[in-house]
Amino acid sequence: MNGREHDLAAGETVASLLERLGLGAGYALVERNGEPVERGRYAEVELADADRLVVARPVAGG
Amino acid sequence: MEDTLTIAGREFGSRLLLGTGKYSSFETMRDAVVASGAEIVTVAVRRIDFDEEGEDITSFLPENVLLLPNTSGCETADEALRTARLARAGGLPDWVKLEVIPDPRYLLPDPVETLRAAAALVEDGFTVLPYILPDPVLAKKLEEVGCATVMPLAAPIGSGRGLKLRDAIRIVIEQAEVPVVVDAGLGAPSHAAEAMEMGADAVLVNTAIARADEPVAMARAFRLAVEAGRTAFHAGVMDEQAVAEPSSPVGGTV
Repeated sequence: MNGREHDLAAGETVASLLERLGLGAGYALVERNGEPVERGRYAEVELADADRLVVARPVAGG
Repeated sequence: MEDTLTIAGREFGSRLLLGTGKYSSFETMRDAVVASGAEIVTVAVRRIDFDEEGEDITSFLPENVLLLPNTSGCETADEALRTARLARAGGLPDWVKLEVIPDPRYLLPDPVETLRAAAALVEDGFTVLPYILPDPVLAKKLEEVGCATVMPLAAPIGSGRGLKLRDAIRIVIEQAEVPVVVDAGLGAPSHAAEAMEMGADAVLVNTAIARADEPVAMARAFRLAVEAGRTAFHAGVMDEQAVAEPSSPVGGTV
């Protein structure tokens, strides 16, 4: 995730991983293996060991 | 008379759009947004740095404002598409301020990649607000591919130099059938007023407010300037004259 390795819990989903990292609330934008993940599917998308995630969020900008 | 700004069928009471960058704190940013009356505010999209405590900017913004994600940092059309799609999938609006900027020195947008990205994003269902140099031909082409606005720059981003490209912007405004939002380079409320007097539909301001000594007061000043400029545009600004013309009667002097 963002270039860093994370161990997955059993049955880890996008939602549970975000929750574990304290990103459950607010906007977390997720790309999995180069494809954006729909927010409505965070709880159902299960993660596999080799998955590469990008997690982004809105920040101040012009 | 109700004089609303309509972009892609959505009406806005304010003609001032705000960027959220460069404020000393999110609290000041929020207060400036409120003081400005802005109903559209831009945000950037960046990877989360897990080594830093980061607050969620969206929690500081009033509920009634439309978040407009930008594609800042993208140097190609493909990068802009990736960023816009990531933002939309994650629950941000399907509106995008399209910026494709290959060179950080002058921060000028790439017209070819911007047009390519705009066409793809419109095709993909986005409401696209492209940031461009005031090139009237490019502006028409962006309109033809379905962009909701065009956003010509007044001067380089963050320069505060005002309407350096005034004559080109005037042509963009004359030709446009979508709203024209003058974006970037406005340093003072008078610059914003001038853009509105020329017939711009709206302006987007960030640095001039965020970096003022008192950002909240400056936000209010820009709000008033935009309203003054818009009112003057409707009232009809007089043509300049080469010679003087007395305002008082010429005869009957004592």
